Order: sequence, then C-alpha cells, then structure tokens
Amino acid sequence: MADVRLVELTKHYKRGGEIIRALDGVTLDIEKGEFVAVVGRSGSGKTTMLDLMGLLLKPTSGSLFIDDVDTTKLGDRQRAQMRARRVGFVFQEYNLLSGLNVLENVMLPLRYVKDGKAGRQRAVELVERVGLSDRIRHRPTELSGGQAQRVAIARSMVNGPSLILLDEPTGAVDTETAQQLIDLMKRLNREDNVTIVIVTHDLDIAAQATRHIRLKDGKVLTDERVPGNTPALEVPVA
Amino acid sequence: MEIVRNVTRHKLRSFLTISGIVIGVLALTTMGALAENFNALLDGGVKYFGSSIQVGAPDGQSAALLPISKVDEIKQVDGVGAVFPTYAFPAKPGAAPSFSFGVPDTIVAGDPAENDWAALKVTTAQGRQLNSSATGEVVLGSTIAKEFGKKVGDTIDLPVRPPDAKPDFVNHTFTVVGILNVTRTAPDTFAYINEADGQALLKDSLPSAIRDQIPVTEIAMAMDVYGKPGSSISDLDKLAVRINSQVTGVKATKPSEIVNAFKSGGAIFTAITTAAALLALIIGGLSVVNTMFMAVAERVREIGLKKAVGATTMNIMGEFLFEATLIGVVGGLIGYGLGASITVILNATTPPGQSTLFLVTPSLTILAIGFATVLGALAGILPAWRAASLDPVTALRNE
Repeated sequence: MADVRLVELTKHYKRGGEIIRALDGVTLDIEKGEFVAVVGRSGSGKTTMLDLMGLLLKPTSGSLFIDDVDTTKLGDRQRAQMRARRVGFVFQEYNLLSGLNVLENVMLPLRYVKDGKAGRQRAVELVERVGLSDRIRHRPTELSGGQAQRVAIARSMVNGPSLILLDEPTGAVDTETAQQLIDLMKRLNREDNVTIVIVTHDLDIAAQATRHIRLKDGKVLTDERVPGNTPALEVPVA
Repeated sequence: MEIVRNVTRHKLRSFLTISGIVIGVLALTTMGALAENFNALLDGGVKYFGSSIQVGAPDGQSAALLPISKVDEIKQVDGVGAVFPTYAFPAKPGAAPSFSFGVPDTIVAGDPAENDWAALKVTTAQGRQLNSSATGEVVLGSTIAKEFGKKVGDTIDLPVRPPDAKPDFVNHTFTVVGILNVTRTAPDTFAYINEADGQALLKDSLPSAIRDQIPVTEIAMAMDVYGKPGSSISDLDKLAVRINSQVTGVKATKPSEIVNAFKSGGAIFTAITTAAALLALIIGGLSVVNTMFMAVAERVREIGLKKAVGATTMNIMGEFLFEATLIGVVGGLIGYGLGASITVILNATTPPGQSTLFLVTPSLTILAIGFATVLGALAGILPAWRAASLDPVTALRNE
C-alpha cells in the first residue's frame, strides 16, 4: 500500500502576469518505509513538492493521498492535525527555537496533539537515540550544526509520523557531519519503518537513498530504484 | 513558561511596554479612587435626601427660620410619618474657606429619634447615642473627633472660638458621649447635639439686639419630614407637593430634585476623572500593539515552524494573545499596586479634620486590573491575527 500518492499534482503561482508552473501534473506513489531522494536543479520543483507533501501548500489541482487520506479535501484544522500526527519536517536551517532547550524543542510538536503530554518519555528516548542525552538541557546556541540538526530530526519523530520530509538537511554542515546525519536517518528509517523523502543537491547523499526522483521544470524527469539500496521493509530487523 | 520567556526575552522593551500599562492603570486607580471617594460622599447625600423631605423657609424670606408650630401642621398632611425640627451651625465660624471634597465641620441639632427614620443610619464606634433629655452632650463624627483629638468623656467647646471673635461671641462646653463610625459622607464632619442645645446655639447666633426678644424654643431652622414607612421617592415627591399646597409659610423641596443634582454632579466628576485615566491607559495599550507587532516580525520563522509541526491558526493566535494579555495583567497588577499604595499613603498623610481623598473599592480593583487585562488582549488581536495568517512556507524561509 502506498504511504504517499501524488495524482496529477500541480502547483502554479502567479508572478506578475506570468504563471510559474512549480509542479506540473506529477503522479507517483511512495511506499511505506522507502527512503526517497528528490533531486534536480534549483527551480525544478523539489521544494514545492516537499511543501505539498507536508501539507504546507495547497495544490492548484490534483490529489495528494497520505495513508490513503485525500488531503486535498481536508480543512485547515484537519491539515494541521495531519501535519502534527503523520508528517515530520527537517529543514536546512534546523529551525530550533532559541528560547527552548533541546528536550523542549523536541517536545514542541506534542503541544499540538491531544495526548501530547504523554509524549515526554518518547521525546527523552529520541534525544538519547540521536546521541544528545548529555545535551538535553542545552540551548540551541550551545550546539554545533550537526547536533542542532539531530535535535531537529528527533523533533520530527516525536509524534511517531509515518512520513518525514527533509529539505536540504545537510546543506549547512560539513561532509563528515552530513554523513553522520544520513546514517542516523537511515537507522531511523530501518528501526521505525518510517518513510523518508529527502530533497538534496548532494549526489553522495542521494546515492544512499533507495529511490531517486529527478525533477525538471516541475515534472518528473526520472524515477528509479537504486540497485543495492534496500527499502526499510525488506531489511530484517536484528 | 515559553510565553513568560518570550516576554522577558527583550527585557528593556518589555519593561517599557509594561511601564506604559503601569502608568495608565496607576492613573486609573488613583483617579478612580478620587471619583469613588466623591461618589461615596454623594451616595450618602442621595441616601439621606432620598428618604426625607427638606422643609425650609419659603423663598424670599430673609431669615431661614420656621415657627415650630409648623411641625404639627405638616403632620396633618396625608402620608406624613414623622417631622423633626433641625438646627445647623458652622462648627468653626470665621474659618478661612478652603477647597475640600468633604462637608465642612457642622453642628447639627435635632431629635436623636430621627436616626430611626433616616435611611442613612449612624452608629457609634465608641460611647452611645445622644439622650434627648440630657443637655450638654455631643456625639462626634469620626473626622471631627480625629481633628480635635477627642474621645468619649472629653469635653469640647462648640462652636470653636474664631481667632478674631467678637466680644459677644458665645460658645458652650459639651461632653463627648459618643464617636460615630466612619460613613465617608456628611456625618463624619458633624457634631450632633440635642434639640434644646440647638435652640440655645440658635439664640447665641442671633444679633444681640433681638436675641432676647425671639422665643427660640418656638423656632426651627428647618424640618426633616419622613413619609409613612415604605414610601418611595416618588411618594415623597408627591408628599412635598401636598405639603406646599396645604401648609403655608414653608417650602418643601422634592427629594428627587436634590438627588438628581447629586447624581449629575457625581456622574460628571466620574466621567472626567475616568476619561483622563482611560486615555492614559489606551496610550499604554498602543505600546502593547507596537511591541506585539515587533514580536511577530521577529518570530516569523518560529511561527512558520509551529505551523509546520501542527499548530493551527487558533493555536498561533492564542499564543500571541496570551502573551499580550500577560503584559496587560502584569502591567495592571503593578499599576494597581502602586496606585493603591499611593492612595493609602496620601490618605494616611491627610491632616486631621480633612476628609480623605481616595477610596479604593472592590469594583475599582476589578475595573483597573480587568481593564488592563482586556486592553492587553485587545491590543494583541491584530498582531496575533497577522502572526496566525502568515503563510508557513514563506514564514519558514524568511531571512
């Protein structure tokens, strides 16, 4: 069963008198547990596709199904609930709140779900899983770029989403840290069977995904599975 | 907790914004306390004059005196419950006039039984009420007792001899038998004596040439007329009309005329003082609007992130509204605390004999803190709406 299904998904913008076709009739299925890299030049529609899949944008036309729910038919409140419950975000700039410590940042999405208070223990566990137990009370300004991004990854997982969307997550860190972050994502993908869609310019990062989707001018140019990289569902859990 | 951190994140800016609210609430508290004090004074007048009919000499009569025989004539009028002759004299004749929110010190003579009929009842804090048959006794209001430093058992000479008293000035020594509880209105500055002593003072106040020719026991300076128990103010108005038509040589004033004069005076005073204070507070409120708009501008990415992780429009609005309301509450509490403290200090330092100027009531407390809270919330609406309506995609990538 597809975790995410895009059907003729289109997003057009008006800029001046011109219509920008940011995403132009994209149809594709992403299965549960896949680790998908979306690549393409700047302006190819990668981020627009990510924002649509994260329900931050409404499509101009077409449908987007997440866990078989047609999200284009949801109201703003239901979309917000779906973002809180089913989707996790990781951004290039981390977007941690400077007034909150590591644990509080990880717990931020719990505020917006009904049984959020019960998630504190899960937040503590996630901080441990991303290797920041010794930094749990630290503020974002006291963290390195890699550590901050690990906090952002833990935050994206706290509500147990089925889909995590990463927008250039390694764009602000060095190569070694970038690889550590990808290793972490791969581990979470395997252990939690969570679907991961990562937008990146870094071909080394993209090469580690189980599937590549290359966009050009808002359309899917290529969509191929990467030989040798196995989706999470097919990896036996030790 | 995060909201408190947000408020304290920019300490100087928050301090200045809260100061704006503090100054407004401080003004509202002090000006409101002044108005409340004035209104308490007027309420006493409304209560007193709304329950009785003032009967005096008719317009145009040079001396404000009435034959005491009018008491019986008025009693014959249908609807009259009781009639009491009254006498009133300045307690400090010749004292330099001064602006005051209180009623000047006055010696009031009458029948102690009138207290049973009056709507504004006076009660004793010390000692007892007057005895109608015993002369030479006085019951002092709370303020006048404090002014002269008198307690039960002390004596006081009334009226007080002025520094430039004429040779024929006469006063009498009275024994203080009671001190009244505070009423915040006229009785606080009154010295009550009985009817016979009032007539003696009336005699003393007359010019020496006619002093011995006028039988003061047959004269009253005014009369308080009460209707039958249960009479409404409109009943008393009608009764005043009947007295004027049936009893010659007197003028009965409709209670509603006096009460309305008190009320309109109080309303104007309250409107002026409250409007001035509200103006100050609204200016403080505008600073909250400004601060909150700045907070929204600074936290655009934060708002975008919160929306991305599941915050609804109402969640974001709620957070910013709560923050603005918190500023209002903190400013309100500090402003009220400072304002109330100032009124307490000023009241405590009021010279003896002068009525205190401020009265902080529970309704004023609720108004001051409540208004600051509501103002904070209102000031937060526009900025909160702007925050809540930010497009998350644009907000997240805001530089």
